[in-house]
Amino acid sequence: MKILDIALKDLLRFSRSLFLIGMTLAAPLLVTFLIYAAFGSMADGEVAMPAVQVGVVNADALPAGAAMDASLGESIRSMFFDESVQSWITASDYPDAAAARAALDAQEIGVAVIIPQDFTQAYLAGEAKPLTILQDPTLSTGPAVVREMITSLLDGVAGGGVMYEVINARLSANGQALDPSALPVLFQRYADWYTGFQRALFHAPGEAALVLRAPAVGPETGRGLQAMMGAVMAGQMIFFSFFTGAYAMMSILQEAEEGTLPRLFTTPTRRTAILAGKFLAVLLTVILQGLVMLLAGRLLFSIRWGQPAAVGLAFVGQMFAAVGLAVLLVAFIKTSRQAGPIFGGALTALGMVSGLFTTNINMPEAFNALGSFTPQGWVLKAWKLALSGQSPSEVLVPFLVLVGIGLVMFVVGAAFFRRRFA
Amino acid sequence: MRLFDIILKDITQILREKQSLLFLVAMPILFTFFMGFAYQSGENGAESADQRLALGWVNNDPDGLLAQQLFDRLAQSDAVRLVELAPGTVDEALQQGDIAGALVVPVDFSRLAAAGSLSQLELVADPASTQSQTLFQALRGPVTQLMSAAEIARQSAEMLGKPGDAGEFSQAFLAASQAWAETNSVALVRTEMAVAEAKQSWYGDNPYNQASPGILLQFAIMGLVTCGQILVQERKTRTLQRMMTTSLRPWQIIAGHALAMFILVFGQIMLLVIFGQLALGVDYARAPLGTLLVSIGLGLWVSAMGLLIGGLAKDDSQVVLFSLLAMFFFSALGGTWFPLEAAGGAFAAIGRLLPSAWAMAGYQNLLIRGLDLSSVYLPALVLLAYALGFFVLAVWRLRQRSFMTS
Repeated sequence: MKILDIALKDLLRFSRSLFLIGMTLAAPLLVTFLIYAAFGSMADGEVAMPAVQVGVVNADALPAGAAMDASLGESIRSMFFDESVQSWITASDYPDAAAARAALDAQEIGVAVIIPQDFTQAYLAGEAKPLTILQDPTLSTGPAVVREMITSLLDGVAGGGVMYEVINARLSANGQALDPSALPVLFQRYADWYTGFQRALFHAPGEAALVLRAPAVGPETGRGLQAMMGAVMAGQMIFFSFFTGAYAMMSILQEAEEGTLPRLFTTPTRRTAILAGKFLAVLLTVILQGLVMLLAGRLLFSIRWGQPAAVGLAFVGQMFAAVGLAVLLVAFIKTSRQAGPIFGGALTALGMVSGLFTTNINMPEAFNALGSFTPQGWVLKAWKLALSGQSPSEVLVPFLVLVGIGLVMFVVGAAFFRRRFA
Repeated sequence: MRLFDIILKDITQILREKQSLLFLVAMPILFTFFMGFAYQSGENGAESADQRLALGWVNNDPDGLLAQQLFDRLAQSDAVRLVELAPGTVDEALQQGDIAGALVVPVDFSRLAAAGSLSQLELVADPASTQSQTLFQALRGPVTQLMSAAEIARQSAEMLGKPGDAGEFSQAFLAASQAWAETNSVALVRTEMAVAEAKQSWYGDNPYNQASPGILLQFAIMGLVTCGQILVQERKTRTLQRMMTTSLRPWQIIAGHALAMFILVFGQIMLLVIFGQLALGVDYARAPLGTLLVSIGLGLWVSAMGLLIGGLAKDDSQVVLFSLLAMFFFSALGGTWFPLEAAGGAFAAIGRLLPSAWAMAGYQNLLIRGLDLSSVYLPALVLLAYALGFFVLAVWRLRQRSFMTS
């Protein structure tokens, strides 16, 4: 009972610490919320087009005698001023490349499309005279989309040429000749088909030739934004779980410095029981923090943590590792003032190496292998398996490793404590 | 002179703590290396010879002409690497990470497409991932050309008076496909980065161009963990109250602490700038006055915020907490963790208003866009405005009677 009394006393002390509550709950939830706020528009799998400012310099002109209504340059320019893209493209005309470049440098536009003189004439003559997309180097998505739009339009024009070439060849092969009066109808028909095809591709998935479909997932597994948030929140939960354990263990040092621990040792309560009570408080704190994070993840960010048994194994493994490392770290700290560098430096470095801050970045295999040498790395492995819907049997190996590591660290740390307070 | 004494006292007090060096110097350097490494990895992908995205191929129309043509075309792609899969194994392959997405050709695809009926190719991939978007764009061209060839073949057959003739369709289709293979619209579009010198990638071919200023900014705020504790300790030890009994004016005390914080923060910033220049190849010295101007603006804003945190916090642990929360908030919204362009509209819009985003913009103008001194005037001015705002708030807090006498 005394063990429980000591544990409850410490728990009460922890709950009154704004710092502990801030670091164990507010900080990880804030980080996760910020990332959710940044990418929440992807919640339904629909990625909103990034707003982009486009400057157009059109020096092209329609060659005399060309069988086109407008030059290619004008067609490209009109595309950016079309009503259908005004919700995400703001287009402006510029007289020349220098003016466009100045606007780009002043960040008035993000992309400049510079169409050279005689672009259409060169195209019709089969010569390559490329137009230039000049982009802000800090942007990536917007310029890529602009490039795709231009390429798509040029493909449409090229398709007309292919159509003419093929039909002419097939008629010739069959001893017939192409009636010139049929050409406008042919080109119009192809143009109508191409426009409808592109429109369906990007705006009407139900009628498109190519459609994006999400993979089938089990009820315990998230997808899309849920999967990404799951990885982010797992990383934050693991990092702050180890931090919580270490900071909570510091209560032993603080009590030793304040003098209340030596006074406790003068009572009939055995030292082992006192230390056990403190370790229990740390365990309960870490468990509480973990449960709150799991619940918050589910309720606030719709994270599907995985099959219940797999989640349980990952969670328990995390508890073993966090408490074990906390006991070991604090066992080597002499004063509470040393705790800052140890906690801040060592835990952060371990977290980095374990991949807790890069859960959604494709890191090299060599880097990923480093996580096999840290407790946090193994916890992350366990959570990644659970999040991807793996069965409990798949999570068993990381779980056993974590229990083993946790117990070893706990035993070593506890031994040091007993010797120190003997 | 008394002002100078307060400044010296604060700086000495902080630098005596070994942990100050950890937060001010060691951790930012470590994080800079790490994030530069991560940026480089994210851009270049895994260290393998073939960096094309793995695309699963499930063909439920194995004898179809169009399906075969699409396979042949994608097999030569520079963007995707085909991985043939059996039907029903796509989801598992995706879960295992063996493929980035899978293209599923439906049953009777060729026959239906040839007849002009809708038969949809399915790209199975995580819609929220960037890889799915990349795959979709990589497939758009080949699929468009495939279906265009089919449409042309239909029109050709109709012109010949043989609509629905499979033989005629096949010949025309193959001719159109061949013609498409010889067409290259991509070569008509050239992309250039608007930088002072031509570089290969958006971060100027040096991943530390993004990582260095981002980490510098993040840890400038985190450095407040040490600076902000000065005010709290003075209050707790009643040193502040004793100073108030001297002939020192309140403004001298506030100014002394503010200047001490600025010197420390600015010193840290410059240390990381020099480190970036010498060790990481980040060309801060390309426009030294511009770098200096942004760094001064950043230092002023952060130190003003530190003064406010010192005034709000009741003990050391609250200083740590407030500093860390401020670091997370301003770093995320300022575009130091990921480009704001990648974030949603509202998030990006709010982020761009914050001083952290302006500081990033100032550094990016110099390092990535290759612009000159004039490009940092506006960012520096905005940082100064924020510094003034935080300073006014801090002074208001510090002058409150309850604070000065508690």
